[in-house]
Amino acid sequence: MIDTILFLSAPIAGCVVMAGILSYFGNHILTRGIIFIDIALAQIVALGTMVGLLMGFTEDTMTIELVSLLFTLLIISVFALTKFEKQVVPQEAIIGIIYGLGLGLAMLLAEKIPGGSNFISKTITGNILWVTWDKVFSCFILFLAIAIIHFFFRKPFIKISESKENLPFSIKRIRLYELLFYITFSLVVVRSVPIGGIFLVFTLLIAPTAIATLFTSSWKQRFIWSWIIGILGSIAGVFISYHMNISNGPAIVCLLGIMVFVLALVKIAVNKNSLTV
Amino acid sequence: MLTALEFMLPPFVACMLLIGINIYFGIHVIKREIIFIDIALAQIAALGGTFSVILHELEHDHTGHTHGDEGMMAYLLSLVFVIIAAAVFTFLKSKKLPIPLESLIGIAYAVAATGSVILLDTMAGGDVHVKEMMEGAILWVSWEQIIELAVVFSIVGIFHYTFRRKFLSLTDRYNDGTSEYSPLWDFLFYASFGLAVVHSVEVGGILTVFAFLIIPASISALFTDKWFSRILIGWVIGSLVTICGLYLSWNMDVPSSPTVILFLGVFLLLALLLKSLKKTFHPSR
Repeated sequence: MIDTILFLSAPIAGCVVMAGILSYFGNHILTRGIIFIDIALAQIVALGTMVGLLMGFTEDTMTIELVSLLFTLLIISVFALTKFEKQVVPQEAIIGIIYGLGLGLAMLLAEKIPGGSNFISKTITGNILWVTWDKVFSCFILFLAIAIIHFFFRKPFIKISESKENLPFSIKRIRLYELLFYITFSLVVVRSVPIGGIFLVFTLLIAPTAIATLFTSSWKQRFIWSWIIGILGSIAGVFISYHMNISNGPAIVCLLGIMVFVLALVKIAVNKNSLTV
Repeated sequence: MLTALEFMLPPFVACMLLIGINIYFGIHVIKREIIFIDIALAQIAALGGTFSVILHELEHDHTGHTHGDEGMMAYLLSLVFVIIAAAVFTFLKSKKLPIPLESLIGIAYAVAATGSVILLDTMAGGDVHVKEMMEGAILWVSWEQIIELAVVFSIVGIFHYTFRRKFLSLTDRYNDGTSEYSPLWDFLFYASFGLAVVHSVEVGGILTVFAFLIIPASISALFTDKWFSRILIGWVIGSLVTICGLYLSWNMDVPSSPTVILFLGVFLLLALLLKSLKKTFHPSR
């Protein structure tokens, strides 16, 4: 038992750190209705890495991470700054288009890079089981810094997430807040996806907040409950995967994902009863 | 030249069929704001296929199934999974939950995708399938597949044309919450859409179908709000893009699906440019 816990301690710590920041961001993402933003972002990150490789940098170096990050920040800034135009096409559709074009371009580039098609499948799976303590620690520091920024700006961020109109700030102010929000979010996605894979990050982002939002609409309660659900869910997932001998990421995703559907049904059943009584 | 034409004719016809049905559905999807539904349904169908492979492995030892049986089984299970998903989405939508339907669609997608990974983990060589499903192989489409597509899409198309009033008004008022909502027609919408997605993805791959679904419909949304003109604009753009994309991919020897998708992106940029020019010349609109 002790051995198991020691062996699993780094992946669990990794999950908890990721769940902590992602469940928080999830509340904003869900309220804004831009559910697939992180999948599109992850695709852009992968594309950025491929662009870096084509420019002649070697894999797994600081330079290439920097190129990838700059590339991502460029795209996300365009996305953040175009938001307050009058909208005929829903924002989620723009996200879809960014994702589609990013993946299409990645497929074309994959032909030019030796072993390029790896990048397409690599981002999908991730590998939380082999995360090192070094990585967990550096993620923790970065996420903590981001959390502090978000704590200071919590009020404007919540207001902007809730509605696009009648905000008590100037347009310039709003754009600055938007930029800050999306840049910090990109930093989190850029760090999390190589560790957890697209699906784990997506689920930690959306599932806990979806469950919390089913039962409460207060921001404070949603934050607290999504943290509890995200963290407990990932710990349980890691243990289940260990005992049933299946991959960790998928186990957490399925556990949390199925929970959302079950609880949605529970909520419907409870509502029905309270209506008839 | 003749060989080029001969070689490119089947993919061209297949693309036109895909455009025909997916542009129509794309407008529905954009209006309902359930953008990623087709990726989710495709993934759920794939989960059905994976399931049938597992079932096949389990009983393979003592019976001598032919290959045709296996294919049929996979297809049927995919359809069953898609129809179950259609029923679940309809049911959850009808209950007016406080979270957007798109989030449930996303979670279904994640669970289906990782679920197949868990299932396939038990077997060897499963992950080759993933990339293949994304890209599709439209260049290698056979006339048999094209006829099959044409038949299925005609059925779905005629069905939607016959009941167009029901489907269009349901989608137009999908998100305002005030109007009466008919679960039966919503279910029929998802089920017929699911059928079209399963067949489209088999030929075109997830990404190509997704691009055909979303991009032309977004372009047409920039210019008009009417269903008929939207569909028309979508069809014209889709055809132009396919011709350019396939021609270029033949001449420059690059993969066809990504090329077509990037051309769609180019057209979107052109449309945005046109739109902003229009704004500067007619600032009132």
